[in-house]
Amino acid sequence: MSTVNQTPATHAPVLKDQIREFIMENLAHAKGITSFTDDESLMESGVIDSLGIFRLVSFLEEDLRVRVSDEEINAETLKSVNSIEQLVLSKKK
Amino acid sequence: MDFSWSEEQAAFRKEVIRFAKEELNDDVAKRDRDEEFPFDFWKKCAAFGIQGLPVPPEYGGGGADTLTTVCALEALGYGCKDNGFLFSLNAHMWTTEIPLMAFGTEEQKRRYLPKLISGEWIGLHCMTEPGSGSDAYSLKTRAERKGDRYVINGSKTFITNTIYGDLFIVFANVDPAKGANGVTGFLIEKGTPGLIVGQKLHKMGLRTSPMSEVALVDCEVPAENILGKEGSGQAIFTHSMEWERTCILASHLGMMQRLQETCVKYARERRQFGEPIGKYSAIGNKIADMEVRLETGRLLVYKAAWLKSQGRHALREASMAKLYVSEACVQSCLDAIQIHGGYGYMTEYEMERDLRDAISGKLYSGTSEIQRVIIAGFHGL
Repeated sequence: MSTVNQTPATHAPVLKDQIREFIMENLAHAKGITSFTDDESLMESGVIDSLGIFRLVSFLEEDLRVRVSDEEINAETLKSVNSIEQLVLSKKK
Repeated sequence: MDFSWSEEQAAFRKEVIRFAKEELNDDVAKRDRDEEFPFDFWKKCAAFGIQGLPVPPEYGGGGADTLTTVCALEALGYGCKDNGFLFSLNAHMWTTEIPLMAFGTEEQKRRYLPKLISGEWIGLHCMTEPGSGSDAYSLKTRAERKGDRYVINGSKTFITNTIYGDLFIVFANVDPAKGANGVTGFLIEKGTPGLIVGQKLHKMGLRTSPMSEVALVDCEVPAENILGKEGSGQAIFTHSMEWERTCILASHLGMMQRLQETCVKYARERRQFGEPIGKYSAIGNKIADMEVRLETGRLLVYKAAWLKSQGRHALREASMAKLYVSEACVQSCLDAIQIHGGYGYMTEYEMERDLRDAISGKLYSGTSEIQRVIIAGFHGL
């Protein structure tokens, strides 16, 4: 069996960047939204709708490997990039 | 990966089939014609433990995991031919018990779950309105806070279990300016002034399951009757739908197996041109396709249920299961009728009722079109 030499990444992507990038590419772009701030309420600005919530939860569970409980799926916990980052960090402690 | 039921699950499945065949099949054709809901079946199922299957033991439930619950529901669909009754059971479990478990306060759970599990009470939820079906969160029902109470006004339609319902979960918007984020769930008991159940709606299928409109006219409920928090209606409803789409069509799988076995038996016994009709590929191919649809449907339903048993979310998988099984079941009903020829079209043979019942599966809990929107949505489309 052969081995493949891989160049190690110089730095892992910062969690907040991963979250922001997912939301921008998968949720915001489809709605024609090209920018949002880390503190912005993504539900109120229309970036995250009812389906978007579960796409986001799916991203958190499958890509970031955290379990999101039903009680945590609400407009406060998933409000903004910052609050989503806090949720993930609290799970990884 | 393990594709087999455990010994315990297999034994339970067998017992559910025995129970369903012996206790849940009286006068189905007559009740379908007369649109009668079988109360005695409801009580028997509660005594057997069906309504409490997914509910933790501290509230009187069986504490079964999702996969075991699906196993039991599939067995019910196989043994019980009253699809309307099974639909009512599912509505009760996924749209009332499950959201209460996930979002209810301890006091709400203690007050309602034991009654819902024991068969004493029947639960339902009220979401759909004349102007909002697939676009569920555009609902017009309003809840206005007045001191320590909410006053609810609006109208709902296509609501299951209403006529015999005891506990209604009503979705209303507390702040229309917030759009979907204002949608809130309220627990309302039967007999509350202003909660009005309208005339029974008559349906193509699922006729043994009662359905009607519901009006809310200055219906006052205490603030503590909120389920979850103000604005959490979206999370509650999506949570319910994820559960419902995972589990509600398990009984369709049972129905598909029953139909397939009926067709195999008929294809072996019925002779035309000197041969059993199953010897003709036109018939044999249909039966093979029925089996492939059944097994494919099982894989999708079991996968979604397994995810939920692991404590993970399964919105996409539930949508795929619901979409596939609902459409596959309709096709298998059509094939079963075709294999039986003129007999299949007769009420006495019961397949025309299965077909009428199965068609609704493409509509309730989100139409097939909405399931496809959800699945495509996971790819940013």
